[in-house]
Amino acid sequence: MLEDLVVGMAGSGGDGVVSAGESLLAAAASEGFHALMTKSFGSQIRGGESSCRVRLSTRPVLNPGGLLDVAVALNWEDFRRFGAELPLGSDTVLVHESKAGPPPEDLAPAGRLPRQVLAIPLSEMAKSAAGTDKARTSVVLGALSGWFGVPLAALERGLEKKFGKKGAELVEANRKALAAGQAHALAHPLAAPRSLARPGKSEPRLLSDGNEMCASGAIFAGCEFFGGYPITPSTEVMQLLSRELPAYGGVVLQAEDEISGVGSAVGASFAGKKAMTATSGPGMSLKTEILGLASIAELPLVVVNVQRGGPSTGIPTKPEQSDLFQAVFSAHGDVLRPVLAPTSVEDTFRLTVEAFNLAEQYQTPVVLLSDQEIAQRKETVNLPDLGQIAVLERLRPTTEQLQDGYQRFADTPSGVSPISHPGMKGGNYLAAGIEHDRRGAPTASGAVHAAMNVKRFRKLDPLQGRTDLFQQLGDRDAPLALVSWGSSAGVAREAFELARARRLPVKLLVPYLLYPVAEQVYRDFFASVRRGLVLELSHQGQLHRLLRMFLDLPRGVSSLARSGAQPFRADEVLERLQREAEA
Amino acid sequence: MVPVLGIDFERLSLQDALDLAVLIEEEARDRYVEFAEQLALHHTPEVADFFSRMARIEERHRTELLQRRRTLFGDVPSGIDRRMIFDVEAPGYEEARAFMGVRQALEMVLASEIKAHAFFDAALPRVKDPQLQSLFRELREEEVHHQALVRAELARCPEKGDDAEAYADDPVAQ
Amino acid sequence: MNAALAPADFKSPLKPIWCPGCGDFGVLQALYRALSAVGRPPHEVAFVSGIGCSSRIPGYTTAYGFNSVHGRALPIAQGVKLANPHLLVIVAGGDGDGFSIGGGHVPHAIRRNVDLTYLVMDNQVYGLTKGQLSPTSPRGLRTVTSPLGSLEQPVNPLLTVLAYGAGFVAQATPADMPGMTALIEEAIRYPGFSFVNIQSPCVTFGEEEQQLRAHKTRMKTLGSLGHDPSNQLAALDLARAYGKELYTGVFYRNPDPPPTYDALVLQRQAELQRGEPRPRARVLERLVQR
Repeated sequence: MLEDLVVGMAGSGGDGVVSAGESLLAAAASEGFHALMTKSFGSQIRGGESSCRVRLSTRPVLNPGGLLDVAVALNWEDFRRFGAELPLGSDTVLVHESKAGPPPEDLAPAGRLPRQVLAIPLSEMAKSAAGTDKARTSVVLGALSGWFGVPLAALERGLEKKFGKKGAELVEANRKALAAGQAHALAHPLAAPRSLARPGKSEPRLLSDGNEMCASGAIFAGCEFFGGYPITPSTEVMQLLSRELPAYGGVVLQAEDEISGVGSAVGASFAGKKAMTATSGPGMSLKTEILGLASIAELPLVVVNVQRGGPSTGIPTKPEQSDLFQAVFSAHGDVLRPVLAPTSVEDTFRLTVEAFNLAEQYQTPVVLLSDQEIAQRKETVNLPDLGQIAVLERLRPTTEQLQDGYQRFADTPSGVSPISHPGMKGGNYLAAGIEHDRRGAPTASGAVHAAMNVKRFRKLDPLQGRTDLFQQLGDRDAPLALVSWGSSAGVAREAFELARARRLPVKLLVPYLLYPVAEQVYRDFFASVRRGLVLELSHQGQLHRLLRMFLDLPRGVSSLARSGAQPFRADEVLERLQREAEA
Repeated sequence: MVPVLGIDFERLSLQDALDLAVLIEEEARDRYVEFAEQLALHHTPEVADFFSRMARIEERHRTELLQRRRTLFGDVPSGIDRRMIFDVEAPGYEEARAFMGVRQALEMVLASEIKAHAFFDAALPRVKDPQLQSLFRELREEEVHHQALVRAELARCPEKGDDAEAYADDPVAQ
Repeated sequence: MNAALAPADFKSPLKPIWCPGCGDFGVLQALYRALSAVGRPPHEVAFVSGIGCSSRIPGYTTAYGFNSVHGRALPIAQGVKLANPHLLVIVAGGDGDGFSIGGGHVPHAIRRNVDLTYLVMDNQVYGLTKGQLSPTSPRGLRTVTSPLGSLEQPVNPLLTVLAYGAGFVAQATPADMPGMTALIEEAIRYPGFSFVNIQSPCVTFGEEEQQLRAHKTRMKTLGSLGHDPSNQLAALDLARAYGKELYTGVFYRNPDPPPTYDALVLQRQAELQRGEPRPRARVLERLVQR
């Protein structure tokens, strides 16, 4: 029985490959499987090459998976464009439209050409069953049902959802195509039959994506203002909030540009409201100046960066983890701001709330580093237990403090000063980007400036002790380490489990808090370590370099990093861990 | 430009007129205080001190008028406020300059006294009440007296002061 | 007149760093008076500015001030107002802050029509940084960055703002304090985006013929020309004389101001909430209902 199945499909946009993947995903979720789907496209808005991967499992799915178990090619040209996302192995069942002819010889590296290649007359079957060759993907889904036991009824429900609005005829036609596909599969069984195991609980699971979880987390955290600008792959955050936030009493502004987006959010924060913006790399570059303003004015602000391929315009539709340096360092002057990174769709909710909490507690901008894969992949999630998630508010001055000569930037033991806002009588002050004294009056004094820098940095000291913002698994004394963050952490977690199954002496560290670098947490983790890998998707291996900047990393800990749009696979990480263990 | 708003001279009461006079002095005093602060901030101490002195003088005038008002009318609320007057006696902000000399400052004060004189002079024909006419005439004469004092100081002032601008550093970009 | 708030209630203890003789002193004085006339207490006034000599102005008032970054006062101010529509929001800056680096935000602030008042202290030069060309500098002007004379036509702030459809556009000069005070007050009271271009000369880097003494002889009120401020076309025509003539007064006042953006947002929220905001704990319902 198969506990895990990875299906990859490619065709052109008009084929509805992604729609088919979504139907499969929805069917799996409704049957209680854990599931995850990613998509990949060409640059055309419509009708370019298009592909998807769907991974279904009876166990929680940690990442999109490695080599495909099933590959479906509606034509070879489009399929080949997705080499990185749709990797084939010798055990892959390669299904293709018979009209496309046999697979090209160079479809996979030598030794990895699929042994089982099945040509199906998809167009013919579609035409015959549904009256149009466009129903090819429904035939495919039916075949998957026949070969792997994906419940047909669930797939039919998915069809109803997809075609229901367009009319009962279309639904019926596609149902026939489904049935035809299944019949074909049953009549042509696989050489080595495999059937999907049933999930333990067959209760339907919820589906969501990172951008939706981010917007939902923001709402829950009490966000009352969102200012932003459309940019792939973060736009859905703004869209969802523009539909939902007003009902909760909030305001969403699609501003005229990225700068105005974050500027309006800073204004809203100054006015006392929890505020947020969301963007990707290019937008972060534009927002840099205003982030510095928020830091020196000590204003809470949540800035979501859904990372994509960079630099500059880069690759808007692919994930990369190359904005860490920017999140940490991009500001002129001495600035310290927290940087958080979710690692899955599910934890994006609670980390967004955490971002708001840190912003409020420490009166600072907080960068939430998501990436295109987490933001736009659909995966089954457990509903967050809202009762367990704390929501924090900024420290406001008491009535006494307001009557007694309130000083906005008064020094306090924690470094955090009570913050007033317009409308609060007695709390009047000047917020400014210019350096200022305790009252907020502009100053050019070096001594005051130094004291203010100390205060602005000191107030973040408690973050050094936030072990709850790190995931550590494995034996404390293990000599082999695996460190990863963001979407790569999902691959790392799976590799860690595989490594442990092989009895490799490995432990895992996944930081959710990337900055400030919690030095003691890392020192404790690396104390036993002789060799290890820092796994991330960037040319420079930015976390690895950042850690080396702040810590004495054991020399045997090296970077396993590469540019984005080439996602890691658990099996390749496992092999590297094996080599490290043997070194 | 008419430096007052919302004042009908024909219907002005004695109390109003005294309140107006008090505010005119107050406005001038405040302006001289501001000039003193500006010039001190711009490191022109001699002229800063001069303006502080002018402010004290205006304050004296103000206090005297306020006394008269209180004697006659006690603490009855005033119907005249600062928003109704615009630099009646107070010199305009544009008159000040960084590094200005005492002569320039004295000329500024002289001009403001002349301005104030012109104000009362223009108001007189419109005032019907004999008590008020008497008051305005008195205030107008005061200005003449002040002018004489200022002219006397000007006479004692060296004709050409130091060319402060020539010695000053270039402006600093911020 | 509201006796409860005097102009002095708006004066902060911070001493302005402006050069003695700067036109901005007059603007500040007029602002104290206008704010006291409008009657909102200082703690309900939010005053946002950019960077420049004139952008220092919020700190010299007792209102909540935000002296932000160059050219970005308008977006920040709109965020303040939308976050709390009950605040009185004023925005200030110079001609460079507003029409050079900040120029991209002007059309959108106007068409969005959030209720705020934008005061631009226009002195045709960059004073804070020592006298460079500004977007409103006349063609041919010699400055430290145009030593052979500027080759550019200046921006016409009045025409620009009028053409983008602003509902209240005026010009003023500290040479006419009562006039300027009244215009600022009127602009604040106007329900929607309002704009006052204030010819506030730079005494250190400005030309002699630009100083306030010269204003006194040059200026002409639009009223004296018989202009009807409800006539937008006439306003546009008169605005073209910017740079040649110093017209003061209201160029245009929309006789039928449309609802402000902030008012419409409040209306929408009321419709969606039907009484009170939805409880935040309901955020995941949509997910479950799918």
